Amino acid sequence: MKFKVSPLTKIISLSGFLALGFLLVILSCALFHNYYPLFDILLFLVAPLPNSLFGSGSTAYSTSDFMTDSTHAGQDFAHFLTGTFVTSGITLPLILYHCQYITSVSCAMSILGGLIIYSSIVIFSWFFNSNWDGDEDALFN
Amino acid sequence: MEGEQRAGLFRVPFHIPSFHGLRTLGVYLSGILYALGFWIFLDAVLYSKHANASDLHVTFIDWIPFLCSTLGMVIVSAIEKNRLMDYNNGDFGGNEAIIWQARTVLFLGLALLAGGLSGSIVVLIIKFVIKDYTTYPTVGMGINNVLGNIFILLSCVVLWIAQNAEDEYSYSLTI
Repeated sequence: MKFKVSPLTKIISLSGFLALGFLLVILSCALFHNYYPLFDILLFLVAPLPNSLFGSGSTAYSTSDFMTDSTHAGQDFAHFLTGTFVTSGITLPLILYHCQYITSVSCAMSILGGLIIYSSIVIFSWFFNSNWDGDEDALFN
Repeated sequence: MEGEQRAGLFRVPFHIPSFHGLRTLGVYLSGILYALGFWIFLDAVLYSKHANASDLHVTFIDWIPFLCSTLGMVIVSAIEKNRLMDYNNGDFGGNEAIIWQARTVLFLGLALLAGGLSGSIVVLIIKFVIKDYTTYPTVGMGINNVLGNIFILLSCVVLWIAQNAEDEYSYSLTI
């Protein structure tokens, strides 16, 4: 593995990415003096929560055949909620636009900003959960 | 072993995907469909509140089918369906009374789902079509109600299929 990014660079670039998302959503509110799109931030911040509560920690156990039903149901509920929240975050500005609460520019900016926020959170957890061993080497070398 | 079992029932020219992520994908899709249904209905409500030019408004009557559908979906998803199917297996403890109870509750949930969908169609007809509100931006509130309930029904169907398909798969693994 030749191309190796240090964890510090990842954190810095991801925080910049996250700030860009927040900037887009807040700008989409402040430019038009209409603060309805702020709910989009709330939805996209809640969206990764169910998977981190129920989800990926016990994925290794769920593939084995000694699974219990409770973890299965919890994971299903988490996936269901994730799908619901992400779709809500995308459709909320569209519906506010359709009902003439916000303008089309504000709608596009808030959708884009919300997606950037969500993807940066997901990438953050993906970086530091999946290959923690490799990162640990990079931290201490 | 599992391929033989899977090929037994239907003869299709393509390979039916049976990988483990199918359940996860199905559940995600179900959540997406539910959110779509919810927001399509809420679009009608917000439209009626803010951008409505006619004198017809969304009242509590329009909410009832949506509430019925959601309640029915919760009931149907909460029942352990795969154990209901093979009651000879005795996973419910082989108790006949519990099985009948589960059947009754499942029937109630499915009736709520179907009642929600038909109720939204009834609202569309009685509140909009009969009273000659048939031009689009007004009748769109009724149509959105029906569409939202259809999406919730679809979400429930997808959730059921995803969970049962995976249960079959894990069952054939453990055998």
